[in-house]
Amino acid sequence: MISPRTLRNLRKELRSSALAKIGIVLVLAMLLVATLAPFMALHNPTNQNLEENNLPPLGFSRATEETTSEMQNGSLVIKNETVLVNASASHPLGTNSLGQDVYSRAVYGARTSMMVGVLGTLLAAILGVSVGLIAGFYRGRVDDALMRFADISLAFPSLVLAIALIGLWGRAAVDIPDPFVMLGVVDPVRSALGLSTGMPDSFVLPGTVIVVVGLVNWVWFARIARGEALSIREEEYVKAARALGASDLRIIGRHVLPNATTPILVLATIQVAAIILLESSLSFLGFSGTTLSWGFDISQGRAYLSTSWWIATVPGLAIVFAVIGVNLVGDWLRDALDPGIEGEGGV
Amino acid sequence: MSYGRFLLKRGFQGILVVWGVVSIVFMLRFITPGSPVDAVAPLDASAELRQRIAEELGLNQPLYVQYLDYLWALLHGDMGYSYISGIEASQMVFTKLPATVELAVASSLVAITLSIPLGVISATRRHQPADYAATTFSLVGISTPNFWLGIMLVLLLSVEFGLFPTSGRAYGFIEAFRILAAQGVSPGLDALWQWLRHIFLPAVTLGTYFTALITRLTRSGMLEELGQSYVQATRAKGLPESLIRYKHALRNTLIPVITVLGLQLGTLIGGAVITEAVFSWPGLGTTLINAINVRDWPILQATLVVIGCGFVLVNLVVDAVYAYLDPQVVAE
Amino acid sequence: MADEILKVRNLTTRFFTEEGQVNAVEGVDFDVRDGEVFGIVGESGSGKSVTALSLIDLVETPGRITEGEVWYRDAELADEHRDSHPEAVDGDYVDVRQLPETTRRWLRGPAFATIFQDPMSSLNPTIPVGEQIAEAVEVQRRARANPRRTRSRTQGYGLGRLLIDSVIPSRNYVSDESHERAVELLDRVGIPDPEQRAEEYPHEFSGGMLQRAMVAQALAGEPDVLIADEPTTALDVTIQAQILNLLTELQEEEDMSVVLITHNLGVIARMCQRVGVMYAGEVVERGSLEDVFENPVHPYTEGLLGSIPDLEDPAPRLSPIEGNVPSLLDSEMGEKCYFADRCPKAMESCLHRIDERDAPSTLDGVDHKVRCVLADREYDESEALDGATAPEVTDD
Repeated sequence: MISPRTLRNLRKELRSSALAKIGIVLVLAMLLVATLAPFMALHNPTNQNLEENNLPPLGFSRATEETTSEMQNGSLVIKNETVLVNASASHPLGTNSLGQDVYSRAVYGARTSMMVGVLGTLLAAILGVSVGLIAGFYRGRVDDALMRFADISLAFPSLVLAIALIGLWGRAAVDIPDPFVMLGVVDPVRSALGLSTGMPDSFVLPGTVIVVVGLVNWVWFARIARGEALSIREEEYVKAARALGASDLRIIGRHVLPNATTPILVLATIQVAAIILLESSLSFLGFSGTTLSWGFDISQGRAYLSTSWWIATVPGLAIVFAVIGVNLVGDWLRDALDPGIEGEGGV
Repeated sequence: MSYGRFLLKRGFQGILVVWGVVSIVFMLRFITPGSPVDAVAPLDASAELRQRIAEELGLNQPLYVQYLDYLWALLHGDMGYSYISGIEASQMVFTKLPATVELAVASSLVAITLSIPLGVISATRRHQPADYAATTFSLVGISTPNFWLGIMLVLLLSVEFGLFPTSGRAYGFIEAFRILAAQGVSPGLDALWQWLRHIFLPAVTLGTYFTALITRLTRSGMLEELGQSYVQATRAKGLPESLIRYKHALRNTLIPVITVLGLQLGTLIGGAVITEAVFSWPGLGTTLINAINVRDWPILQATLVVIGCGFVLVNLVVDAVYAYLDPQVVAE
Repeated sequence: MADEILKVRNLTTRFFTEEGQVNAVEGVDFDVRDGEVFGIVGESGSGKSVTALSLIDLVETPGRITEGEVWYRDAELADEHRDSHPEAVDGDYVDVRQLPETTRRWLRGPAFATIFQDPMSSLNPTIPVGEQIAEAVEVQRRARANPRRTRSRTQGYGLGRLLIDSVIPSRNYVSDESHERAVELLDRVGIPDPEQRAEEYPHEFSGGMLQRAMVAQALAGEPDVLIADEPTTALDVTIQAQILNLLTELQEEEDMSVVLITHNLGVIARMCQRVGVMYAGEVVERGSLEDVFENPVHPYTEGLLGSIPDLEDPAPRLSPIEGNVPSLLDSEMGEKCYFADRCPKAMESCLHRIDERDAPSTLDGVDHKVRCVLADREYDESEALDGATAPEVTDD
């Protein structure tokens, strides 16, 4: 599936491209943060503390009006004072309106984004590749019907379709126990590091979102897989395999699919980026099963834009860095594996 | 095949897709838990009342009768009445449509006029500062969620500097021109100015992703075209470089770019939905989200049908332009 | 005796690739005379095509012409540049390489026209053939109408003009006269029904017809030198002859000089008066067709000629040259004669660089030059290089 030549191309492209290196570092960092969230977070991301709400990030302060009243010489004096709220070292990126730690929420938000991105892409790829391979391999009416269906589903923008499906089906979510908390390693490690203990013992897998995201993005995979199947089925060795009596399933599995791996891989990377953006849009609009998500935090921060800009800014930057990373990895794969898609000109 | 026959064939395929779109929208209701009656009936409704409502909505008919009724009504432009407000769904959708179209067109115009020169500059000054700036911009542009970009623009330009209103739509574009015609220059220009001020941030928000995307596509396409042998042959016949770049290479670059844009139209509409939500822009997107939240089926169906058909229609236009630019497409 | 229209001296073109410096063309000298067909022959990878591109200054990055002169005879141009670029002018000749870039570009068309190997990839697939030929006419028409403006960067055709042209349905850039001229040219190269064919796209043409169209496009500028780079390689054998006939006919009628680049010795023998043999980026032997083909001095030329079947003597005397064209990577080329490794007559004196020297010539006034020690002396077996056990190979 992945030949030594492919690996050599990947290495060569990686050596010559600084952007590819940046992309890999960003993606690995995101995956690391998402996996090790219970160790990376400073606080439990859902713990509220209304005493410490809207704290600014380190290096900033927030001005607020404070009204005090006191009795002076027998009369009530009401004073409006401008008070500066200063940053707290224990909340380096500030807190939101509920006093939750913005940084810790961003760390846990990475989990949701990465999970939806990877699982949604996987689902879309499985659906799309199956449909595409069948359509391309059998051609004729099967192909016509499946591709017409693909055309129709393309007519609904994925965000619109996703909103409609989630809005109508409800926001089902599955609670998954956090493996590190289950193992009992989180609290000891955290107290050894001098951090607060009591991290969430489960995290939410936004099931509907993943299913819907897979359902609305399968078409792209179907198109690519179909194109590959169409061309590969005409190859002599496929005809030979068939003449030798190999079953269709075997031919598809042994010959067609491996040859289609490269373009599918490149597309999958691009789709992970698209799905991370889609997930954040959905949770921004409130169509997600979890509140631990970058998009949701941005929608919360919107209301406090004029006083506490960081609440919406931090999770947004997290999205941008994550998606840039995935896109750079996608560029790297495309340049290394498939120079046909984007020629670089010159000799 | 002639160009006319090609268009005819594509038109026929388009009609098939439209039929599929309206059918799927119809079916959506049957793969959704709960009954439309829930949306209409009061919580404490008796079984008889629910029965009567169901009858009135035509829900007791066999499925195929409901389907044919729906198609028949649709053909006459009848998409039912809102369960909530009682307004005719088609009227509601068509009053909201201009706002969305305005937003989509404005951001596409911004995107196209900025991105193509940017992509060309980037490709022709490869590995120079202008190229690095353009590629960085386009990478960040395709990686930024547009709702967040909108919020950040509001934070900077509206909250900090007060340059633009944070949300809403004062006048429609056509409405502003009506005012210009009816009430004279001063109020007319003021209306146009208000229109511009309100649409600016939403259009930039929605347009940035596409500017970035088309810049990327144009750059890589130009680089590929400029490496083709015909470009060298064209240089060998002494044509000026600008002619080679624009008439030959750029034109051939735009052919695949147009296809991608047709496919990305869905992203544009999806982006419009969320941009409308950020800026409280009174278009189809906000209508859609409201309709979903209150299960207002006729409105939901009407919105989806209009969006789906709009997509098909624009793609037909894209195909026509594509075939006009690349004669080989018609030949195949 | 004919005059030289083109004198190429020490032309050197290198490619600066990631793997290292590639010496594609190495100190090439040759002349092209008025009204003659000069052939350049060699295996693929010998630098023939890069030489052609270097003549018209269209070597693309990472390639660069690093040295050399291309003297082109044009009295008018020489006068014009005598004061501004004295080093680029010598009598009636100008060194094209030292002229400003805009002037060099302007020479493409009226001075040098080029026909490439694959007509399908040399034409823009989305523009009608006639319009592409008309462009070549139009650029010359504009140059005559307004020389000064034509030499500006955009030649009066910027993005704005293009936008206007695209919106208003008129001919893009080309005028009606140019279009008519394009139709005439199509007729001239023997394309039937030229009016209608002019409106068709490259994919609607057959290979042979398209190459005729390429010839028509090359004729548009009424060039002094027509450079034909493997003009028949991509075509069917039957069509090849037609195109060659067409070239011969046009060359005589238009009184052009032709530089014909090919790997096909038969084509050279049929078309050329004089010929240069290229190997590893160098011209190893050049002279009149008779001298080079009948009395070759360079063992490479001998080997090359030995590798074509002789129709009159059907006895199988085919003797392909052992080995392959050497790597042109600078780091691997070394100082010896590039052919020494494959040469059946390599001697110790071949271990250093060899200059061009005179060889016996049968025609008055036509030099016969060879880059080989054998020009001055006979092969001496006692000095044979180890490993180059060669006489057996030729007799094989």
